[in-house]
Amino acid sequence: MQKGIFFLLIAVFSIALSWYEPPAALMQEELLVAEVLEQLGEAPLPHKPDTSLAGVSVAKGRDLVKRGSPGGPGGMVSPHFTCLACHNVERDEPTLSFDNPQERLEYVAEKDLPFLPGTALYGAVNRTRFYNGDYEKKYGDLVKNARHSLRESIQLCAIECSQGRPLDAVEMESVLAYLWTIGLKIDDLALDKTAQERIEAALAGQGDPEAAIRLIKSRYATAAPATFVEPPKDRKEGYPVAEADAANGRLIYENSCLHCHENKRYAFFRLDKSRFSHRQLKKHIPRYTRYSIYQVIRYGTSPVPGKRSYMPNYTMEKLTHQMVEDLRAYIELRAGGGTPGEKEKGI
Amino acid sequence: MDRIAFLLLLSFCWLANSLSAQEKAYTHTTFKDRRVINTQSVETLGKRRLDVRISHRFGDFAGDNGGWPTLYGLENASDILIGAEYGLTNSIDVGLFRTKGAGAMPDGTSGLRQLINGTAKWRIFRQTADGSMPFTITAVGLATLSTAKKAESNESSLNSFPTFAHRMAYNGQLLIARKFSPGFSLQLGPGYTYRNLVPFGDENGIFSLSGAARIQLTKVFGIVADVTVPFSERRLDNEQGFYIPWGIGLEIETGGHVFQVNFTNATAIMETDYIPYTTADWGDGAFRLGFTISRIFNL
Repeated sequence: MQKGIFFLLIAVFSIALSWYEPPAALMQEELLVAEVLEQLGEAPLPHKPDTSLAGVSVAKGRDLVKRGSPGGPGGMVSPHFTCLACHNVERDEPTLSFDNPQERLEYVAEKDLPFLPGTALYGAVNRTRFYNGDYEKKYGDLVKNARHSLRESIQLCAIECSQGRPLDAVEMESVLAYLWTIGLKIDDLALDKTAQERIEAALAGQGDPEAAIRLIKSRYATAAPATFVEPPKDRKEGYPVAEADAANGRLIYENSCLHCHENKRYAFFRLDKSRFSHRQLKKHIPRYTRYSIYQVIRYGTSPVPGKRSYMPNYTMEKLTHQMVEDLRAYIELRAGGGTPGEKEKGI
Repeated sequence: MDRIAFLLLLSFCWLANSLSAQEKAYTHTTFKDRRVINTQSVETLGKRRLDVRISHRFGDFAGDNGGWPTLYGLENASDILIGAEYGLTNSIDVGLFRTKGAGAMPDGTSGLRQLINGTAKWRIFRQTADGSMPFTITAVGLATLSTAKKAESNESSLNSFPTFAHRMAYNGQLLIARKFSPGFSLQLGPGYTYRNLVPFGDENGIFSLSGAARIQLTKVFGIVADVTVPFSERRLDNEQGFYIPWGIGLEIETGGHVFQVNFTNATAIMETDYIPYTTADWGDGAFRLGFTISRIFNL
């Protein structure tokens, strides 16, 4: 008798379970921000990939971005750089606002990512302006077409920034297809419960879609500003900052300088963690040479004839004067045999 | 059978090293160039890189053939290398070089001349930063072909080339190096040189051991030195007119490349030439200035 009741309870419980449906999530965290905006009535972004072209694939785009080659038969876009030389494909900004390089440095250091002069490709499809601000000073009229077109800006990057060849149509659409896989997700916007409910309501046709669109767009920048700045007037004195932090400089040296210069990964000039490198850099700090950190950070370097890779400059939005002085403090400390933490000993 | 077992073991070790490659941090720049002075180094070029090289060995600095009459050897060219090397992968290079050929027997009989040298280099293991692999090990192979005109009337000359194969000579080395610190690297290289045709009474095969070191003084300046000891009773006896080839050089690293100025008693540049045929003595002032111009292109 007891056995019968037991099986009856199991059966009732199973039937109850089969009837239960969890509340439908209108907006999942992995949903692309661009798709949500479209559902809310926003016009589709112009850089959606044309997947009707034969041969277009996310895998090909990923290979082009990460390895510089479309995979299989096909030449390298650039013999000098891949996109990863200057851009992360992971999120590398804590706020998505592109206005606090120090926060960005701490964020990438925590995530074990490089700290790069280019804006992350993660979320690139959510932007509407490219090569902003002072990039016109560097590329002149070339930025006119690129400013409002992701396709044109990718092409400019392939030809000018990476000193390579233009992408063909299939390659371009493949890169876009890949970039759409690393577009901003709803989860990236760190929405609180109230904001989520407002958006979900708008998606369900019960709220104000315009307000929901404004709310979403207020959580990320659609353009990364770029301000070119000069080296300090007096390179012996450096930039006027209150105090330099060598430990912060170490993060810049290891996550930024060594990304390209360690074992000449992308650069001609080799750097490592030895005192030889730090002494050499220290010696050139006050000089007007391409080995001066002030010179190369703020002006970059030009391509060497016959060997066309070069160093891009760091804008103010990517490296502040304070951070440059932190880097200098670290280099000078290491050149003297010290390590960050020993600063107070006056080494 | 033993050889097959050894090769299988080597392949297994290489495969194991390769499979775990992405997880490891490697030690870089054990040497700054792929040649030390005379000997090869464990370094390889890197994938899709082309290195165009010109190496030059001047004449004797002093002694009977040097000094003021030749402006301390600067007006003579003992040997000249022109060619290129290409990185098929990050660990495998192939190269093709023309050298003049400069080796000679103590009696003045010349070695092979007008040489085309094909090289292949495979970095099998890389020293890791965590010490799990303490050495970088690289295998180097060299095949030399003399393109000199056949000397029909002189059967005692090397240039008589009874068959085409007699134009050939080979060298193989296994280079084992360790970077002890940013300032000091050391390399040893057991090798074997085989010449298909040798002067009367000479030996075809010669085992050798090379040693090389780099001492970094500053970021820009470093000192390198190397020596190759041929295990040949005749060649270790100075009375017979042979001398151990060794050299010392100053490396200057500029932003773009490494420039090296060196002095060596070896007259020739390639292993098949200088290992069997070094007859110049430092003590007699028979050493020479040498330099290499190297330009690397990303392709």
